Amino acid sequence: MEVVREPEKFENTTATTIICNNYLHYHAANQYTVNADRKSACRSLQKTDDLDLIERAVSTADDTITAIGEPYRQAGSPDLAQKLPNGAAAIFQSPSPSGEKGTGTDSDGSDRRRGERAVLELDCKQWLAVCGLLIVAAALGVGVGVPLALELRSSRLLEARLQVVKRILQEVPLVDGHNDLPWNIRKFLHNQLHDFHFSEDLRQQEPWSQSVWSHTDLHRLKQGMVGAQFWSAYVPCGSQYLDSVQLTLEQIDVIRRLVDKYPNQMQLVTTAKGIEEAYHSGRVASLIGVEGGHSLGSSLAVLRMFYQLGARYMTLTHTCNTPWADSSLADDPSDTLPMDFIEHGGLSGFGNLVIREMNRLGMMVDLSHVSVQTMVDALDVTKAPVIFSHSSALALCNSSRNVPDHILRKLAVNGGIVMVSFFNNFLSCTDTATLHDVIAHINHIRAIAGVNHVGLGAGYDGINLTPTGLEDVSRYPMLLAELARDRQWSSSDIKKLAGSNLVRVFREVEKDTYNTFSIQVRDDWSQVGPTEDWISMEDLDGKTYCRYPGT
Amino acid sequence: HNDLPFNLRTLNHNFLKNFTFEDLKNDPVWWNCSTCFTDLKRLLAGKLGAQFWVAYVPCKSQYKDAVEQTLEQIDVIKRLIQKYPDHLQLVTTADGIWEAFRKKKIGSLIGVEGGHSIDSRLAVLRQMYDLGVRYLTLTHACNTPWARASPVDNVSLTSDLNKEHHGGLTEFGKTVVLEMNRLGMLVDLSHVSHQTMIDAISITKSPVIFSHSSAYALCNHHRNVHDDVLVMTAKNGGVVMVNFYSEFVQCNTTRNATVDDVIAHINHIRKVAGVNHVGIGSDYDGVDSMPVGLEDVSKYPHLFERLAQTNEPRWSTEDLKKLAGLNLIRVFKEVELVCI
Repeated sequence: MEVVREPEKFENTTATTIICNNYLHYHAANQYTVNADRKSACRSLQKTDDLDLIERAVSTADDTITAIGEPYRQAGSPDLAQKLPNGAAAIFQSPSPSGEKGTGTDSDGSDRRRGERAVLELDCKQWLAVCGLLIVAAALGVGVGVPLALELRSSRLLEARLQVVKRILQEVPLVDGHNDLPWNIRKFLHNQLHDFHFSEDLRQQEPWSQSVWSHTDLHRLKQGMVGAQFWSAYVPCGSQYLDSVQLTLEQIDVIRRLVDKYPNQMQLVTTAKGIEEAYHSGRVASLIGVEGGHSLGSSLAVLRMFYQLGARYMTLTHTCNTPWADSSLADDPSDTLPMDFIEHGGLSGFGNLVIREMNRLGMMVDLSHVSVQTMVDALDVTKAPVIFSHSSALALCNSSRNVPDHILRKLAVNGGIVMVSFFNNFLSCTDTATLHDVIAHINHIRAIAGVNHVGLGAGYDGINLTPTGLEDVSRYPMLLAELARDRQWSSSDIKKLAGSNLVRVFREVEKDTYNTFSIQVRDDWSQVGPTEDWISMEDLDGKTYCRYPGT
Repeated sequence: HNDLPFNLRTLNHNFLKNFTFEDLKNDPVWWNCSTCFTDLKRLLAGKLGAQFWVAYVPCKSQYKDAVEQTLEQIDVIKRLIQKYPDHLQLVTTADGIWEAFRKKKIGSLIGVEGGHSIDSRLAVLRQMYDLGVRYLTLTHACNTPWARASPVDNVSLTSDLNKEHHGGLTEFGKTVVLEMNRLGMLVDLSHVSHQTMIDAISITKSPVIFSHSSAYALCNHHRNVHDDVLVMTAKNGGVVMVNFYSEFVQCNTTRNATVDDVIAHINHIRKVAGVNHVGIGSDYDGVDSMPVGLEDVSKYPHLFERLAQTNEPRWSTEDLKKLAGLNLIRVFKEVELVCI
């Protein structure tokens, strides 16, 4: 949606630079005098608490105001030139078609004023000549300068939005719900890290450079301003009933060893407070998520041990049912996967115990990959907010991996969050998608569940089809900058989407919250001990060929 | 070495809700169980300062769900400790033992009994260390793909085991030992074959332990430690923690074992390896018969009283302290400090 129509209010729109500084901010400090006309013009454009508008200091030719903060820089990149012009609050057109840099100087401003005064002293004939010249110049300007100006304007506008987004991401950590790098490390390197150069550009290194499944390295994470990442301890469904527990331990181990290997850039984190601490120290807060209940071997003791090893969410299923929960395959069976699933119609009794134990421990329940009935059952049973670590909106793309609207409404009541997946098949239901598809999903989830219930869970390194514009982990700021064109996305809303929603959910789920005013799920649990139940043999229904049944 | 956790599994299915650990006298199942020697009341009477609780799973689970079951045993130990916070405290460092002791709680450590519990995966070893496991007995009574167990030394066995090469550690087995050194996990050589003991002590960079083994010279059971290995252990700086099990301390089937037999083993190890290399590894709850005078965990003081009365050799207070715990704590401290 186009943002601002206010240009019509200004009469001189061809050669005027209008600045909307954070005049209130600066003015309050009493360091600057603000031209009254501009103040009123700016006031009509902005809400006083609207950070993105306020901070969009682009340029000034007014010697009474000096822009503070990020000086505007002309982007000049062909990519940015592609972007459509946007009526952001800071509207400007270049004073001349030559496309100078935005940071004005005193001499420029005074020159222009001298030029204007000079015009008024001419006689009639000269007036006509000048007017004619002006008209020709204007025509030329419009014909040549406007497109150029529009390009420059759009690129400068985008650059301006990016600056604002980067400012935002320096205040709140961007938290992504799901990255499958650990599985790639297993596939490509057999979990041997001694030759893994994560701090270098993996696009230049085999086998990463050859893989469409590779999107992540430290350099691009930094460019993407990723503040916190849930690394996925995923093991395939084929290991269910076999060695899934051991494999999961190996994946947890490789995550921890990776973080140990890069102590200046990464930090293992197991609390919401930890995210903030790592973020403020300039490291990527690294959390562990277990992807698939089959990793438990149907043992609550194993769940507890995973929690103690740092796992802070568990996706209840991957692409297979467990003996206690149905996956999304129950809603959409695939021809290519084995059909020997036991179905429970959602969660079994033992599945309810799993949720209960997760609540007691303070481990987030992740409902990506599960069937709709499992979502319903989990939302009924859970005493804590839940997450979808990497799912999008079913209403926009009818995939069983996405979240139906009625679940989004329940989620709002639950207080949880949907962290939007960037996988093309889930966004557009085809093999191709763009950044705008992600935005559409974000907006839909916002519309149905609310702005407090949406986040980012790209699923990089676990997907092979990424949207145009979101090719890898460096692209998050671009997504947010594009989102910022939409008037409904204030800077505080962008902060929520980027990370503060997830941090809120995490705090609520945690055992010990340092913020005594947040909801403590744990209040009810202090007298409740660990759940000691075992899954029944009936539930396991013959799948015990790799279990020692003696005890 | 105390196998209570395995009794919890077999008798209680790891349920602790109705487990009256304070005093099991009135529990018909536990009181009549021949492998049950432990409850809080008797531990306190026995003046136990610290205990390695054992996360053991049967050898039959090897190649099956041994890892999962081991995690369940680690979990039950931790839940037991959580259930009795006034008496038990989880400990994972040498200093932690002193801390718990000063607070008059039983310092509770975790040992995993059997290399089959790690399924030949170093990552599993590391994660168990992170869960608090502080020793790994390299084998139980079965070979792993990388280490031989003591039954291969059993000259009375006519099984295939005996026909196998009396090997010790493979290359991978040595890697396991070195990784344990790096982590700071005690290498426990109870249950392993003679050659495995030699191989391990040769390769290790840290002192080792025998968590529950006695002296072969006095009772030639394959679970006991030969004199040559006792000498190596002394050089290595390790500790042999003497097992009380009747069949290990007294090979003569014509009479019952007594506390004096245990004392004989302690004295022999002291003589061959030195007073700095002997300790207590009773094996309560892991066996079905204990010597007269050491009927359950309340009897440790009785052992020490008898030792104090011994003249040949003389046990000074300092010597008794070493036997009781200072030797183990010293070894643990050194193991924590080793960096490779």
